[in-house]
Amino acid sequence: MTFGNFVGHEDAKLALILNAIDFNCGGVLFVGEKGSGKTTLSRLFRNLLPEETPFVEIPLNVTEDVLLGGIDIEETIQSGRKVFQHGILDRAHGGVIYIDDINLLSQELIALILEAQGRGENIIEREGLALKHPARFILVASMNPEEGALSPHLLDRFGMCVLWERLKEPFLRIEVMKKAAHELFINDEDEDQDKKLRKQTALCRPLLKNIKIPGEIEEYITAKCIENYISGHRGDLFLLYASRAYSAFCGYEEVTQKHVDEVLPLVLTHRKRIFQQMEEQQREHQEEKQQSKQDEHTDRQEQNDPQSEKTNPEKPHNDSDQGMDNPDTPLKESSPQEEVFPLGNTFKTRHFVFRKDRLNRIASGRRTKTRSKDKGGRYVKSILQPRKDIAIDATIRAAAPYQKIRDRKETLLIYDEDLRYRQRERKMGHLVVFVVDGSGSMGVQKRMIGTKGAVQSLLVDCYQKRDKVSMIVFRKGRAEVVLPPTSSVELASKRLRDIPIGGKTPLSAGLLEAYNLIRRVTLKSPETRFLLLLITDGRANQSISKAPVGEEIEKVSRLLRELKFTDYIVVDTEDKKKFIKTDLAFRVASQLGADYYTIDDLKADYLADIVQSKKSELFGV
Amino acid sequence: MIFPFTAIVGQEEMKTGLILNVIDPSIGGLLIMGEKGTAKSTAVRALADLLPEIEVVKECSFNCDPNGFLCNQCRERLNNEGHLHSERKKMRVVELPLGVTEDRLVGTLDIEHALKKGEKRFEPGILASANRNFLYVDEVNLLEDHIVDLLLDSAAMGVNTVEREGISFTHPAKFILVGTMNPEEGDLRPQLLDRFGLCVRVVSIQDKGERMEILRRKATFDSHPEEFLTARSSEQRNLSGKIIMAKDRLNSIRITDDILGKIVDITCSLNLDGHRPDIVIMKSARALSAYREKDTIEQNDIKDAASLSLSHRLKRLPFEDISSESEKMQSILFRTQA
Repeated sequence: MTFGNFVGHEDAKLALILNAIDFNCGGVLFVGEKGSGKTTLSRLFRNLLPEETPFVEIPLNVTEDVLLGGIDIEETIQSGRKVFQHGILDRAHGGVIYIDDINLLSQELIALILEAQGRGENIIEREGLALKHPARFILVASMNPEEGALSPHLLDRFGMCVLWERLKEPFLRIEVMKKAAHELFINDEDEDQDKKLRKQTALCRPLLKNIKIPGEIEEYITAKCIENYISGHRGDLFLLYASRAYSAFCGYEEVTQKHVDEVLPLVLTHRKRIFQQMEEQQREHQEEKQQSKQDEHTDRQEQNDPQSEKTNPEKPHNDSDQGMDNPDTPLKESSPQEEVFPLGNTFKTRHFVFRKDRLNRIASGRRTKTRSKDKGGRYVKSILQPRKDIAIDATIRAAAPYQKIRDRKETLLIYDEDLRYRQRERKMGHLVVFVVDGSGSMGVQKRMIGTKGAVQSLLVDCYQKRDKVSMIVFRKGRAEVVLPPTSSVELASKRLRDIPIGGKTPLSAGLLEAYNLIRRVTLKSPETRFLLLLITDGRANQSISKAPVGEEIEKVSRLLRELKFTDYIVVDTEDKKKFIKTDLAFRVASQLGADYYTIDDLKADYLADIVQSKKSELFGV
Repeated sequence: MIFPFTAIVGQEEMKTGLILNVIDPSIGGLLIMGEKGTAKSTAVRALADLLPEIEVVKECSFNCDPNGFLCNQCRERLNNEGHLHSERKKMRVVELPLGVTEDRLVGTLDIEHALKKGEKRFEPGILASANRNFLYVDEVNLLEDHIVDLLLDSAAMGVNTVEREGISFTHPAKFILVGTMNPEEGDLRPQLLDRFGLCVRVVSIQDKGERMEILRRKATFDSHPEEFLTARSSEQRNLSGKIIMAKDRLNSIRITDDILGKIVDITCSLNLDGHRPDIVIMKSARALSAYREKDTIEQNDIKDAASLSLSHRLKRLPFEDISSESEKMQSILFRTQA
């Protein structure tokens, strides 16, 4: 396969050509479905670059020391002095780093790559080594958006982005087949074509600095960026370089408005903010909030006495079945019509703490710490307990003082008692299963607006902790997985918006669906940690079997409690300001052994902040 | 080659925040929050060029202040020789990379020395080089928890105490912590947040003219860095001269009870923890007035200092979000100025 022969995707090819002409263009990200040729084309990028240009691929399983560089064990032991082994970043200097499925690379590693790129050098401060080397490179990467989004921060670093769709025209698809299996057809591979292209890009390069950029073009570029709400100033600069490279490619001596327009979609598509939508919603609700300030004030006073509400469920246990079957609800609760409520106000959520378990895992994310099973993750300390991962620095340090006594000749003398091993730790995301009550009672007094706001806030937290999310809605006699497990919090947010309200409350069906989902995922990836978030007012009034509602919930809860690596949180959406409170959700929470929160409890914890800052005062000034 | 500080367009608060910390390092650092691509990192790295010289003990790897707390080595030398020689050294911006390991941060046993001589010797880490310098953490909210713990530990004490691998060592570790972060990527732990004396928020510039100027300067710098630096050199010299003068002037500026009263007026009407905010406002108001070449602290110095010192300390009550409290602050500061 050659670059010139690659069928279709002219914008992607143009993006690569422009980058080959000028590395200032800042790299390309290809976003598209699997099997559509992203990787193939990216690898062909090499054919356009001068032969000596480094082109390094980063596999997803790369470890920190391979990426950054680390201590060279063999040399160090042989020579008895610290020897540095160069990492990927060093090899990539002056060239290209290619990452397939970049959205699956762990956040820690991405942060390290971006840090080095931003600085133009790699600073190594690890395992007793302190040195730095230049590391200037552009990133070419591909991703499949179905498997999770990329942070806007990372997106911003890419000069260009191409949305990649599969080819639809039949004749092009036939072409692709022929090219893919070219040995079966007439071999029309034209190696010369790529040589020509390489030559052409090489010729364009020295022309760049002589290309004029008129003042009105600069003005046009900035105007376009402001018009498109581009945050930050990288966009402006990348647009300038792309336009200039394009003029060079077209053989012009001056950048024209048309050149800017041609490359504009490549540079600006991915720079619009992900959070922009959210911010707009925030603004919409600003007015509403001003009005409700008064209410919130009274709310806070009530909050002073939350104990009595929680520990004193209104009903004794024995008559609760009856209570659930015929909830003491006013007429309006059973309003039959369906309604879709908008998202309410979002807020910063409190910090949930989950106990670190002792399982060694391969994982990624930012929520809870876990010991790592592979050689990935942060090397936290050296330990004596043997495993495969030798901590060479600690071992050498342990051996070093005894070399004289041991009468060292050439190589370092390391005895068994010197051996130290690495304890590594990394943070992992959970799979957060949102089980949302979509029954009619949630629509009373527009409670669903606030509830959706709360769920959205939790989703933002999930994004920051790099959790996977899944969503189950129960209403009208059944529970439905509206979102199978995904890393795309954005998608979850979209689904959330569309949840309609109406019908009875089959709470046990929702829990059972969650149970099945967790079981399924556990079979596939047994180390997953789950967080089941049940959002409901607890007014269950529909069962899936013949058993009474309450009994059924208890049975399913018992099943759920047996699941490994699963934490439970119940968010009670009942309006606690009202005179009559049922606190039914609290009962469900105790059956599940779940942590229980009202929506207000979910808000970032002011008390905890105080305790923490007092603590630091004690130690500090 | 580093893009020069004086060539950064706009973002005056951020630039002032950095400069004030050079003038008075005891202000306690700066946190720069903001969206991507707004010259946060550029500004911090560019600061290095403007830093003045400080007096340090000659040949000390810990930058000991001859008149301050000394490291084990200097103490020993002082005991043996009765005096310490000193020299002048330019302050630096020491970077803390995200991939740092514990041993490199606090320091550890010097392997090579142990191998060659069979003796244990302490090999200084980043905290040692950061003593009396700027310590810069890019994306500080992404720093690993166990590294943050170590950082907080020595930030609180101003001392790094190492007890590992048979080594016992103590050295001063007073650094000016500068961090940048993009809040979209996650929060900062409250203890760490409180460690930053000042905090600024940066947003991208929306003015067309300024935006064009940014584009033009960056493009020129990319293509002809040397010429660009030469063209800027006199401006750079002027600014570092101005900073040195402000440092000299600093101690001659009197802080009257009247001024203290005005500061306390501000802090009392807001809901703030502890007394650190008062102290930070006082120090930065003094540094500001020195930078503005005045002999006394004026109303607008206090106001500007307060807005730099308070934004990250405003308490967030569970039912109010940060914006209402910051509106309150703005209105109080507005009154202060009037």
